[in-house]
Amino acid sequence: MSIGKFLVKRLLQGVLVIWGVITIMFALRAVSPGDPANLIVGPAADPEIRDQVREQYGLNEPIYVQYVDYVQGMVTGDFGYSFQSSREVTTMVLERVPATLELAIAATIIAVVIAVPLGVISASRRNEPADYGATLFSLLGISTPNFWLGLMLILLFAVFLQDPMETYLGFSFPQGRRTVGFGEAVITLVTTGYAGDLLTWVRHITLPAITLGTYFTAMITRLTRSGMIDEFGKPYVTATEAKGIPYVLIRYKHVLRNTMIPIITVLGLQLGTLIGGAVITETVFNWPGLGDRLIQALNARDWPLMQGIIVFIALGFVLINIAVDALYATLDPRVTNE
Amino acid sequence: MIPDRLESNLRQGFRESLLPKLGLVLLASILIMAIFAPVLATHNPTRTGYLDENGNSYPPLGTSYTTEIGQDGEFVEVEVESTSDHLLGTNDIGQDVFSRLVYGARTSMLVGLLGTGLAVLIGVPFGLISGYYGGRVDDAMMRIADTMLAFPSLVLALALIGVFGSAGFGIPDPLTRFGLIDGMPESTMLPGTVTVVVALVTWVWFARVARGEAMSVRNEEYVTAARSMGASNWTILFKHVLPNSLTPVIVLATIQVAAVILLESSLSFLGFSGTTLSWGYDISRGQGYQRTSWWISMVPGLGIVFAVIAVNLLGDWLRDALDPNIEGEGGGA
Amino acid sequence: MQGADNTSMDRRTLLKVTGVAGSTVGLSAVAGCLGGGGDGETDEITITLSEFPDTVDPIDHITGDYFDVFDHIYEPLFNVQPGEAPEGRVVEDWSHGDGSVEMSLRDDVQFHDGQDLTAEDVAFTLQRQIDAEFGPASSQVAGLGSIEGAEAVDETTVEFQYSGAAALAEYEFGNYARAMNAEWTREQGGEEDAIAGSSADIFNGTGPYEVVDFTPDTKIVLERFDDYWGDEAPFERVTFNSDTESNGRATAVETGSSDMSINVLPQDTQTINDNDGTEVRRVTSFRNIFCVMKNESEPFDSQEFRQAMNYAVDNQAIIDGSLSSFGSPMSQPSPPGVNGHNPDLEHYSQDIEQAEQLVEESGYAGVEIELTAPQGRYLNDAAVAERVADQIDQLENVSCEPNIVDFGVVSDANSAGMDNYEIPFFLIGWGVITGDTDYAVSGFFQEGGGVQTFRDEELDSAITESQGIDDPDEREQALQDINEMAREKAPWIFLHQQESIYGIRDDIEWEPREDENIWVWEMNP
Repeated sequence: MSIGKFLVKRLLQGVLVIWGVITIMFALRAVSPGDPANLIVGPAADPEIRDQVREQYGLNEPIYVQYVDYVQGMVTGDFGYSFQSSREVTTMVLERVPATLELAIAATIIAVVIAVPLGVISASRRNEPADYGATLFSLLGISTPNFWLGLMLILLFAVFLQDPMETYLGFSFPQGRRTVGFGEAVITLVTTGYAGDLLTWVRHITLPAITLGTYFTAMITRLTRSGMIDEFGKPYVTATEAKGIPYVLIRYKHVLRNTMIPIITVLGLQLGTLIGGAVITETVFNWPGLGDRLIQALNARDWPLMQGIIVFIALGFVLINIAVDALYATLDPRVTNE
Repeated sequence: MIPDRLESNLRQGFRESLLPKLGLVLLASILIMAIFAPVLATHNPTRTGYLDENGNSYPPLGTSYTTEIGQDGEFVEVEVESTSDHLLGTNDIGQDVFSRLVYGARTSMLVGLLGTGLAVLIGVPFGLISGYYGGRVDDAMMRIADTMLAFPSLVLALALIGVFGSAGFGIPDPLTRFGLIDGMPESTMLPGTVTVVVALVTWVWFARVARGEAMSVRNEEYVTAARSMGASNWTILFKHVLPNSLTPVIVLATIQVAAVILLESSLSFLGFSGTTLSWGYDISRGQGYQRTSWWISMVPGLGIVFAVIAVNLLGDWLRDALDPNIEGEGGGA
Repeated sequence: MQGADNTSMDRRTLLKVTGVAGSTVGLSAVAGCLGGGGDGETDEITITLSEFPDTVDPIDHITGDYFDVFDHIYEPLFNVQPGEAPEGRVVEDWSHGDGSVEMSLRDDVQFHDGQDLTAEDVAFTLQRQIDAEFGPASSQVAGLGSIEGAEAVDETTVEFQYSGAAALAEYEFGNYARAMNAEWTREQGGEEDAIAGSSADIFNGTGPYEVVDFTPDTKIVLERFDDYWGDEAPFERVTFNSDTESNGRATAVETGSSDMSINVLPQDTQTINDNDGTEVRRVTSFRNIFCVMKNESEPFDSQEFRQAMNYAVDNQAIIDGSLSSFGSPMSQPSPPGVNGHNPDLEHYSQDIEQAEQLVEESGYAGVEIELTAPQGRYLNDAAVAERVADQIDQLENVSCEPNIVDFGVVSDANSAGMDNYEIPFFLIGWGVITGDTDYAVSGFFQEGGGVQTFRDEELDSAITESQGIDDPDEREQALQDINEMAREKAPWIFLHQQESIYGIRDDIEWEPREDENIWVWEMNP
């Protein structure tokens, strides 16, 4: 099977999955107890008004008509209107995407930058202090709930160390909602040469990104370590060594490349953890992303908003997984033959 | 049931490394804490009001802090000393932090074990049937699995709880019910919805593993032989295919307990668990008191970290000895 | 605004300037000063709320944080001081007729989009607040209980109709009358008159400030409205943002990224006071915290049981533990300072024996109940509720569990009416912001009240009677009697009056108000 055909097949599967997600969300709403009209106008509202609202939101239609309307809306990108703020859900979702992306990407970068070298060192110095250190770190990393880690980082940097940092370093990590987005900050830098906004952004994102990234750093360190140890034992390594190719080259070029394949797969599978982690990290740090909004929507039982966010997250999740598969297929052509 | 080779692998792993031993000791301590909570706790964990005469929480033994109270309309700074009555101090409403740490182990362990057990019960049969029958059945079932996987588990769990609310129900505690211990809660609240929900969001991983095992033995000689001898599909599934998949399922289940503990604590932290006696809930309680009472959120967090480390160490040991290629969803949430 | 005012140049202006001139080091230096509003020299103020308004419609909610923002844009028609009769603001003069009041409006009031304010606008806005036929239902109807309608008499004269006493109507319209532009609202809102949007153009009031920048649930930036009819407001530029965590709000003030934070929790006051240039200001507010017991569900249908709940609770211990000893125990529906407060009443003090005895008499011994409470809405609300539940649980013959939920759930239970008993027992707060007892009792205890949670004929008819009394002294006596009756009937567990605590830059002159309003025009930079 060619990569093209493989991708088409994966895309079709993805469409099916998204349809499934939409259907599940619809079913959940249909079985959820309570009259949706209550959520919109309050339980004490006039029956007449309630009826009017039901009419307006199409809640009086037979269930299959509601379903068709709903799927149609989703397909055309019309996610309806928020119960709580009456705004378009599509807008409310899209305006929160950049913040979540910033956080997820920053966390991933931190993870890869720290974890791969750490894993390599750990694998090539097996059973030396460096290896023990890395192993301990990764064990702690995968075992620490990130919301707690976030709180402890706030405690350390924003409570205990804030004054000393301000005094000796001239900056500290601020608490509270970030005041400027990455995009705006970059535009300011490019148009005015003023870098202050970008620095503010960096100070704001540091603690949340470390919080979200720690688990992945730990996991990739483990994967890199065990992957490389496996590869070192394979015949091609011993063979190339015999041919006189320098050890260092083997290590980084071949071994690392082969190690990356399982890492990428696992990362694809763990995207859900990344997104789930982002939800809770955003809550801890008051970060204005999708997760923060999802929790608000859940608390307010704002169904259209909640559905919109979840379907959007699932969509992103499926697309990224397809992208990971494609990357995987390029790295290891055997996959497409499976 | 455990093949000899695996058994020797397990023994070897245990002998050679300190980590599995550490994991066992840790897990045993936490289980003892959970089971004998009424004996170990120094105070009733739900009783409030263990505060000093000004209404301030006690800090952990050996520490002190300053805070402000109102006197005649003015702010007055006071120093609060620790007391040996409360080893790890008390929280904002004056509950004993040590006793809540002990009782919190119950909630985590109950949800971790029951939730994972339920996920096995759902996921394994699903995966076995899918892998054994193959073809269209398999295709359809795997699309369902893919759909489930398209939800990050925390997000799906939140959505389910958003729909069904978070109900808990009390499990009577024999130690207090029969009057062996006095002054402790008579029942432990099991967050029922959360237990079911974590199972609903994690079963897919078991389904995938079971499916893989079923596929690999489907055309083995002993299975085809059984089939030609007229054994029904169900007999084959349960007598031949299921035993074969047990080993990887056990490994995965161990790893998943850790993920489930983390998931439960996340849900409790966000206030969706239906019980207030939980490590995650106590962390969120301490969030508002970080500037004065850091121990309120720090202590229960350490509880989670130790519990998850224990399970992970055992999981690593089993995985190294039995099967190195099992993926579950992590618990980074 | 020009010339010397360089430092307050906003970022958009800066972008425009530098976009033409190209970037220079000098300009970056100017920009560097713009970061925080806290250096005392700039003509701007940043206020950090605990809850950012989730709507842009000024009449949608009845929540303090929302009024703090929207009152600057959509100004009140009257100036009010807690417990005093309203003074004219946009309304110059008014006179009462038979069940109606005629108000004459200033003729020089302009909306931010340049249109003139007319009587038609005021009548339209009031109709929107009280009549669901006009656009979405407004919870402000709860505060306008006796106001029945409005119509424009001519360009600058509007008439409100009301039932009951004139004094009561004044308390109500004095606090809740606002003006939106009728034509603009219809245009923006479509059929439903629902105002929703995410840009600065979605606001159009007559207040001293207009919106120049709006990022939903993040920040809203206001600037002086140049064509404002009245006195120039003290700051050129006002920014509202929010942080749901109290320690975040405290840090914001300490680091100067904000000039004022509202709803600071008692546990976060110390560092603000210790920090140079900032301080905490507080006042005991008109906000009561109490636990509603809907009396048509068991076991709360028993007066003995309800009294027992009051005797089970140690108000002072809760105030010491969760409010740093600030706040005072509540003895009746009206707080001190409110018209009709009865100074002779004592609060129920804790008496476990009597509580257990009363439970026994009520016939509900052994009952299990659940106290539902919000988190993050009132000062340490969840903590207060957990202590209340535990204190009740300590009675031998009652067991009580706390159930902490989102505020929306509690708020819905409060307005669900007498026929809905899903959540019969919950903690809530009620600010008697009109300064009159009627606002503390009529909504809760009167048939058809916006938040009726208690049905009792005697209490109901006493309240109805008081609403028809015109003589102020006679009315005050009637209200005091109502408070006494309510104490006896124990429709609530009376807890305490809450504190309003603010962290603020210490060079800003401003005294916190008992009605929780924050009006920048009352401040001095």
